[in-house]
Amino acid sequence: MSARRPVRKGAPLRKPVAGTPGWVMPAAVVAGIAVVIAAFWVIHWYTTPLAPPPPPTQSETQVVLETITSLPASEFDSVGQGSANNLIKPVSGTRLVGSTGKPEVFYLGAEYCPYCAAERWPLIIALSRFGTFSGLETTTSSSTDIFPNTVTFTFRNAKYASQYIDFVSVETLDRDQKALQSPTAAEQQLVTKYDTSGSIPFIDFANQYASTGATYSPDTIGGMSWRAVADALKQPDSTQAKAIVGSANLITAAICKATGDQPATVCSSATIQNLEKTLK
Amino acid sequence: MSRLQLSALLVSLAGIAVSAYLTVLHYAGVIPGCPVTGPINCEAVLSSSYAVIGGTAVPTSAAGIVWFGVSALLWTRPAGRAHLVWSGVGLATVLYLVFIEIVRLGVICLWCTATHVLVVAIVLIALASRPATNTARE
Repeated sequence: MSARRPVRKGAPLRKPVAGTPGWVMPAAVVAGIAVVIAAFWVIHWYTTPLAPPPPPTQSETQVVLETITSLPASEFDSVGQGSANNLIKPVSGTRLVGSTGKPEVFYLGAEYCPYCAAERWPLIIALSRFGTFSGLETTTSSSTDIFPNTVTFTFRNAKYASQYIDFVSVETLDRDQKALQSPTAAEQQLVTKYDTSGSIPFIDFANQYASTGATYSPDTIGGMSWRAVADALKQPDSTQAKAIVGSANLITAAICKATGDQPATVCSSATIQNLEKTLK
Repeated sequence: MSRLQLSALLVSLAGIAVSAYLTVLHYAGVIPGCPVTGPINCEAVLSSSYAVIGGTAVPTSAAGIVWFGVSALLWTRPAGRAHLVWSGVGLATVLYLVFIEIVRLGVICLWCTATHVLVVAIVLIALASRPATNTARE
């Protein structure tokens, strides 16, 4: 123990005490940031599921499909465009009609693709307002791509019947990126002409409108089950409803333009009429 | 104006430029050029739900303009406590955004990383410029 000398009042300041060098603190901050970022990657690797969620049973799938294809009109009106990005652009070309002579909606995507996984939800919801699907099966996007294991449905064995439109789908690759379906030469021409970036999903609305990409981010439904997504869609204020139902409304508006606003029960709503104006 | 002060001011102006660029592209609906390899994917980050300030249509990059703008104003004056506090706010935000990129999205946006590096540079300058406090009377 050493005795302290009394401090004289008014004594001059002495030179700064030689302490920690000035570079230590910045170096410690840089090292700390590096450690935190490394920890983030470790958390990511530990929390990223390698396997997709267990597929729902057939009856559960039926419940989910019934939920999302029978949303009340009030739900669509309440959400409007929601948080959906309007990627639907007008295009010019000979009117695209299907095998039955009705306006055709053409979809090109792939099962591994997370953006396609996201976009199928609103596409199914919108198309179900004009007709009926059968043969839809649950699947997930790739486990190894971005937004892994995004829950969705596949069109690979789906059939669609409507008195207003024809729907044609092509899923080019499965979730393991193995070849699945190929577009016809005519369909490939549409893709070449209107999907100049080559991105998927690509949707052609009777050669009147086309969209490339997902109208909302797949992380909106990241980590959710099919049932959880369907339940969230019943709540207009949920993040998922704003994104998916909002996207479905935009798609519905594009289809209504192609059908000449038929059926009126769907197309004459103020929500769809307003969205049709935004499509130009 | 000291050399460190001038450096921080220039870094802040660079941050405003990058943030403004990302904000303009956001409103134009365009994704900036960026390689898509391994964990690098600007499109995935900038089109994610985290690219906007929660519940609004305002891009996160707009907050970057504000942060770098305030930083530029601060660094027109000699370093002090306010510089350290503001840098701390910036660093905490950067760590949150990097957490979102890595843990939630699993990818990194190079343009976002550029702004993060600029924030860290300002933090380091603020630390290097902090007033000395270890003086004593004899």
